[in-house]
Amino acid sequence: MPSKKRPALKGSRPSASGRASARPRLRSRPRGSARGATGLRLRIGFIVIAMVMSVFAARLVQLQGIDPKQYAAMAAAEGKVSVVLPAERGDILDRNGKPFADSIDGLMVVADPSLTSEDAPELATFLSKRLGIDYFETLDRLRAKDSRFQYIARQVPAATARDAVAAAKEEGFVGLETRDDPVRVYPSGDVGANLVGFLGTPDKNGAAQPLAGLEVAFNRWLSGHDGEARYQTGAGGSRIPLGDNTVDPARDGAPLTTTLDRDLQWYTQQVLAETVRGARADSGYAVVMDTRTGEILSLADYPTYDAAHPELSPESNYNSRALTDVYEPGSVSKVLTAAGLIDAGLVTPRTKFRVPPQLFRQDRRIGDHFDHGWIRLTLAGIIAKSSNIGTVMAADEYGPGQLRRYLSAFGLGQRTGVGIRGETKGILPAGSDWTSQAGDRIAFGQSMSVNALQMAAAVNTIANDGVRVDPSLIQGTATLDDGTEVGTGVATKRQVVSPEAARQTARMMERVVDPDPEIGVAPAAAVEGYRVAGKTGTAQRAGEGGYDGTFTVSFAGFAPADDPRFTIYVVVQNPRNGGGGGSVAGPAFSKLMGYTLRKYGVPPTGTKPSQLPVVW
Amino acid sequence: MSSPLRHPSSTPLSRRWGALARGGAVDRARLAVVPRLRSRAPRVPFVSLVSVLLLAGVVGLLLFNTSMQQASFTADRLEDEAAVLSARQQALRTEIDELSNPTHIAERACDLGMVAAPPAAFIDLATGKVTGTRSAAVAGPCPGASGAANRAGNR
Repeated sequence: MPSKKRPALKGSRPSASGRASARPRLRSRPRGSARGATGLRLRIGFIVIAMVMSVFAARLVQLQGIDPKQYAAMAAAEGKVSVVLPAERGDILDRNGKPFADSIDGLMVVADPSLTSEDAPELATFLSKRLGIDYFETLDRLRAKDSRFQYIARQVPAATARDAVAAAKEEGFVGLETRDDPVRVYPSGDVGANLVGFLGTPDKNGAAQPLAGLEVAFNRWLSGHDGEARYQTGAGGSRIPLGDNTVDPARDGAPLTTTLDRDLQWYTQQVLAETVRGARADSGYAVVMDTRTGEILSLADYPTYDAAHPELSPESNYNSRALTDVYEPGSVSKVLTAAGLIDAGLVTPRTKFRVPPQLFRQDRRIGDHFDHGWIRLTLAGIIAKSSNIGTVMAADEYGPGQLRRYLSAFGLGQRTGVGIRGETKGILPAGSDWTSQAGDRIAFGQSMSVNALQMAAAVNTIANDGVRVDPSLIQGTATLDDGTEVGTGVATKRQVVSPEAARQTARMMERVVDPDPEIGVAPAAAVEGYRVAGKTGTAQRAGEGGYDGTFTVSFAGFAPADDPRFTIYVVVQNPRNGGGGGSVAGPAFSKLMGYTLRKYGVPPTGTKPSQLPVVW
Repeated sequence: MSSPLRHPSSTPLSRRWGALARGGAVDRARLAVVPRLRSRAPRVPFVSLVSVLLLAGVVGLLLFNTSMQQASFTADRLEDEAAVLSARQQALRTEIDELSNPTHIAERACDLGMVAAPPAAFIDLATGKVTGTRSAAVAGPCPGASGAANRAGNR
């Protein structure tokens, strides 16, 4: 269309050719002469551009074609930081929330000897003062040859380590740094140590190394899972706010609340230690149980160790002997035999027995711990005086297998499963091992073995109206590393003997602690103001090749006898002062029971004590 | 464009009307060049508004980024401070735990001359009845006194 017909377009920019034709004067002034012909310039320009482009292309092929992943990784790694967020190990607490084991942030102090060897003596002096570590060992480490990494101190509380390293920097020392190294502290020291256990030095990956007790058994429960934070950092190491930033938070370990009462545990350990040392004995255990719930309020072992400094004690002290040792319980077991007899309706506490000076069973002679001629005892008298012969005569009333069924129902021969590794099952003979001679001895607590907690739970059955309740060390439930759930939440109950049989047995047991030594054998076990039911035990200890002439002495009992709240069992192995269950373990029982009743504010029932006849 | 419109004078009126009547559709489709609409609004305010917006955006973004960086530095510093303080708090708590350890308390109590509680009597406030036997506290060896020896003996 001719432009003249479109006046509106008149002002529009003319095309290049149009301009050239419309203004021919431009051609008369050629500009290119100084830089050469246009065509040549264009060509050179194209060549230069093509060269640059081919360099780009080559680089592109190099980056994308040859190992692109490596470059991507390098780019990603640039300025990217990944930090492990350590999970906090769960605390181990007593029933009131007081700590047995506690986790705190800790740091390790590490040195680069290539930097520290110069000022090593001064730095070693400084560090040994600040961190309380050995000077000479530190000096050696600071001067280690051909090394760029040396541990100086491990598991130092974070505050101490930070302060020490910062102070060292200020003094002008170089080559020190800190790294995460969680610390486990045991503020209770030796209180409850045999149950709680301890952690060793973490391995190279920083994983905890539990070495004993609940720390081992519940390692997975307590550990939790470490988390991780990945973020990009700018210069100076601070986080780039809009950079890649992912946080996988740490899941802290669950706390473990035990049924132990720390104060009572301490007192139990003190009393036990005094008792064992006083009797010049090898070892001892004491258990305090809540009668109704089966909760273990304290479980003491002696000798023990300090969980905060386990290296100071021999390894053999780390276990809880109350659970790992087996021994023959002796006469304490007579109350189980008697309770079963009454429950089965075979005897009553007043059943009369004419007890000979000694009893011959096939080729074996059974004797009593005291010399006597023919005596006339009731069943209550047999228990009160702890007559083996009387017990065997009473147990003759049992039908075949009946005693074993009762003992098994009381929990003997089975682990209590409170959650401590290495617990023994004890030995309750079965089948052909249960000969008539073995049966006689089992009736008074020999020829079978138990652990202390098993026996405490069995005696507690009589205290708890004949209902055996599983002993528990953990409040609520917690999962062992093998997946088993334990604790008060899963404790079961079962009726072993009738409530009436249990009460009658308790009334017989009251006669044991009668203040008149002509009646009971353990007046020292009585608790002033309270009705106490109990039973002594003095058993021969089985060594290699039979009984070795040493004894296990013990006392088990509960109070108040007519409304029991606590069951306490004290065992002393191999006393060398010639004492028996009544004189060695009895006073310890009395102290512990008195303390426990007072501590928990249990008033005396105010009823008249049992007056069951012991002779006829 | 149709020719009748370009040469109106050369066509008789009747023919023109006839043509117009015949070409009704054409008439309806008649197009004309519209004069270019010239905006009366001044350009300057619009341009400056856009410029200001752009500039404000850029500056704002810059400030925002800067403040985020600043916040990041602050966060880092505060996190460090929190770590130090929590370490100190833990250290103090540990100290409390160690001081409230029953062994330690027993030792202190013994130093103060305290003794273990003797048997106590209970008064039932409802009935006024006294149960149990009371006795006076007597000085004796501290139960915790053996604590240190206890451990030392096993080393």
